[in-house]
Amino acid sequence: MKPIFALQNLRKSHGERLLLNIDKLELQRGNTYLLLGENGVGKTTLLRIMAGLEAADGGQFQFDGQFVNSDTERAALAPNLIYVHQHSYLFYTNVAENIGYGLKLRGIPKTEREALVAAELVWAGITHLRDVPPNQLSGGEKQRVAMARARVLKPELLLLDEPTANLDDAAREQVVELIAHMRDANNCVIIATHDKELAEIPDAVKLKLEEGRVQG
Amino acid sequence: MTLSEATHQAFVLLLGGDPKLWGIIWVSIRVSTLALISAVPLAVLSGFVLATFTFPGRRALVVILQTLLALPTVIVGLVLYMVLSRQGPLGEWHWLFTQEAMILGQAVLAFPILAAMTLSAVQGVDKRAAETAKTLGASRLQAMWTVLLEARFAVLVAIATGFGRVLSEIGCAMMVGGNIAGVTRNITTAIALETSKGEFAQGIALGAVLVVLALAVNFAMNFFQGKGLTR
Repeated sequence: MKPIFALQNLRKSHGERLLLNIDKLELQRGNTYLLLGENGVGKTTLLRIMAGLEAADGGQFQFDGQFVNSDTERAALAPNLIYVHQHSYLFYTNVAENIGYGLKLRGIPKTEREALVAAELVWAGITHLRDVPPNQLSGGEKQRVAMARARVLKPELLLLDEPTANLDDAAREQVVELIAHMRDANNCVIIATHDKELAEIPDAVKLKLEEGRVQG
Repeated sequence: MTLSEATHQAFVLLLGGDPKLWGIIWVSIRVSTLALISAVPLAVLSGFVLATFTFPGRRALVVILQTLLALPTVIVGLVLYMVLSRQGPLGEWHWLFTQEAMILGQAVLAFPILAAMTLSAVQGVDKRAAETAKTLGASRLQAMWTVLLEARFAVLVAIATGFGRVLSEIGCAMMVGGNIAGVTRNITTAIALETSKGEFAQGIALGAVLVVLALAVNFAMNFFQGKGLTR
């Protein structure tokens, strides 16, 4: 089966240090991948390179069979490929407008947009927060908004960077529950984490990043 | 006339709706508002461009902009006087001693404040804002617009600060406006004139209005700063 995302010979150095040295990595649709590894091993850098937010020193990349070797080409895959930051950034409006941001960019009419946003609010369990500005949300609530904001755009590849970092137990449980329901047959979710609870997501494929290399 | 008598007289003038006094106040508000409206688009754009792009000469432009912040108003007045006077390059416009000249002068004064504060405001926006916009499908232009929207409260503070600066300046207004009664006489030039004549009542009345306007501007700034800080 053709992978949704494939990379070969990825090299990335930070100064003298060779951070990433990955010969081959293929991600298939319908899978959730857990990218595990110690802090500072390069998990975030790998996801950011995949999303085109950082340039690699070298490597070949394919998205759904098409070469996307430059970071500009990969960034242009958005919102088919969405990267969610470790500490999600929410725009200074309200929850509903944050979730509807990408839909508005796509030119989706207001009525349709509102219906889609309403459905995502229900999915994320945050209907009561619809009109709340981001400064009044907890860390867990912000993360749920970010998940809903990404999910509503139906990305084929979703990159989640430490989605449960710095969350309390209750918030972590809720976010893990959402993540477990983000995958479907047509998409692929890759999660950089060292959270043991995330490691319990059913059927998740574990990838370990160690000394710059990915071990499946 | 004692200070208390002058103050009493000032409030009589103000509350009595003295047309001459309120005409002066109107000139100030009109000129400063139009100056700000003229300066904001280009100044905000300049600040945004300097904050967002790197290009040769950018650093020099930032230094020049910061230097212009301390530009004495009389220097702006002097340069504009020469430019607008009959022998000057824009002498044909016949703007000298008109409100248009005052608007131009105040726009020039407001520009560096607006641009420098916008530069700082946009630089202060979290880098994740642009990245988040892009990853959700924004084009480069849409992402830049999103960043500017994120900086909107700080930009509003810049506008309020710029308004305060032009409303209270006197040097430029005096030189290019000429302090003509009923035409270019504004609050600051009128205060200077009335004080020099020993007519303190009108000076106090106009001073009180200036203080109230300054207070309103500062309340606005405080409000916008609060909005921006509580995210």
